[in-house]
Amino acid sequence: MKAMWALLAALCLIPAVARADEASPKVISLDDGDQLGRVSDEATEIDDGPYKRQVVFYRTNYAPGTIVISTQERFLYLVLGNNRALRYGIGVGRQGFQWSGMVTITRKTAWPDWTPPPEMIARQPYLPRFMAGGPGNPLGARALYLGATVYRIHGTNAPETIGTAVSSGCFRLVNGDVVDLFDRTPIGTKVVIRQAPEL
Amino acid sequence: MWAKGLAALLGAALACGAAEAGTLDKIKARGTIACGVSTGLPGFSDRDAKGGWSGFDVDFCRALAAAVFNDPSKVAYTPLVADERFEALKSGQIDVLSRNSTWTIEREATLGLLFTAILYHDGQGFLVLRHPGMTSALELDKAKVCVQKGTTSEQNLPDFFKYNSMTYEPHVVETVEAAMKGLQDGTCDVFTADQSALYAERTELAKPAEAIILPDVISKEPLGPVVRNDDVAWFNLVKWVAFGLIDAEELGVNSQNTDKALASTKPEIKRLTGAEGGFGKALGVDDAFVVHAVKAVGNYDEIFQRNLGAASKLAIPRGLNQLWSAGGVLYAPPMR
Repeated sequence: MKAMWALLAALCLIPAVARADEASPKVISLDDGDQLGRVSDEATEIDDGPYKRQVVFYRTNYAPGTIVISTQERFLYLVLGNNRALRYGIGVGRQGFQWSGMVTITRKTAWPDWTPPPEMIARQPYLPRFMAGGPGNPLGARALYLGATVYRIHGTNAPETIGTAVSSGCFRLVNGDVVDLFDRTPIGTKVVIRQAPEL
Repeated sequence: MWAKGLAALLGAALACGAAEAGTLDKIKARGTIACGVSTGLPGFSDRDAKGGWSGFDVDFCRALAAAVFNDPSKVAYTPLVADERFEALKSGQIDVLSRNSTWTIEREATLGLLFTAILYHDGQGFLVLRHPGMTSALELDKAKVCVQKGTTSEQNLPDFFKYNSMTYEPHVVETVEAAMKGLQDGTCDVFTADQSALYAERTELAKPAEAIILPDVISKEPLGPVVRNDDVAWFNLVKWVAFGLIDAEELGVNSQNTDKALASTKPEIKRLTGAEGGFGKALGVDDAFVVHAVKAVGNYDEIFQRNLGAASKLAIPRGLNQLWSAGGVLYAPPMR
């Protein structure tokens, strides 16, 4: 069971096949957010700008405590009531998380382990077979599992990827934010995911 | 000749005494839209050193020109101060007024004007200094409040505090400058005025980031383009250009993807682009009038962000002006 969770977790990470490989085969470049061993502790926060954790005006019919993820805006809202939400900056899936809808938080983990699946190892042979949870792990400080999907809300060791679309579908927050959200979010919390409209 | 005269008479009677009909025909004959704007309001109506206009209100004039002529430059701007704006419209000096004007019953019931749509939900707000972490106007109990004399903000202030069981210490000042000075020297904790003005004033502070504009608004100041009430066809067109900009944002159509939108097979996109429906023709313009406007000026979000939002020096959050489906109250009827 644990292995399966790890496999699902690995699917969330970037399939970082370096695009520059053809031109210079000896250089293996990594995409942002896939920097194994880079350290980012629980205190990492965004200090300024729109992706800083902040209370914003937000009207909604969802009950306080609900999480609303707007992939187009790169924001995650935790509904507070009184027309307010706590807004976090997020990084989202590169190809878009190709469905919208509602799921619930089914599991919470601190410093999740990472076990890349075989297909990921095949693409990126330099990846470890197993990486214990910790400050250098790309999954970051906390993970919140979304329903029965392969996706989750997790931390990152690459804060500069917040606001971008780089992952394979997960939602990433800086570690300080994911710890904050983790502590406010019980299992069973509703999560509403919204996509940009398609033409 | 007689028949023609009779027909004209009948037409006039049917139009309920319309003083002027065919605004759109006149605009097409003239080759430009006469658009009334503010003489100067940061983010809404700015004039650069070369005489070029920019801003949120200006961009609506440009969107209209793009909808009619497929060319956003076909606008003749008339800068107007508050006192003369409605008379300029009534007299026919301008075709449309796009100048941060609040939609009220008085203006429609007594001035012979029609507001077409709400493009910006303004309202009285609060600019707070030295209180980091404050998130709500309901935290303002016992605050020292600067307010400009003779404004609606001054009238609203006692009602708001009384209704929310709070007390305050008013400091009524003559000018906005005096209020900002009071805020900076500590006479006041907070300055209250329309939010759009507060965002503009905040940029003048030495450290704008230290001042907070609370998200609450305590009055309704819906701003939007205005036309005369004598030409329903023109009213309709102006209204649907405004709605089209909002609907375009909602459907994901922006200035960069209009070609893709024109090739879309989704029915609601096809109606927006004019590939289906024939609504533009019925309004007297090209069926692709919304596409022309969006391609030239952008959808609502692009116009907002460029002039007022994160990409501008004002840095106003969407707030109430976010789409109804994304936490705000911005709402346009569907194009179908």
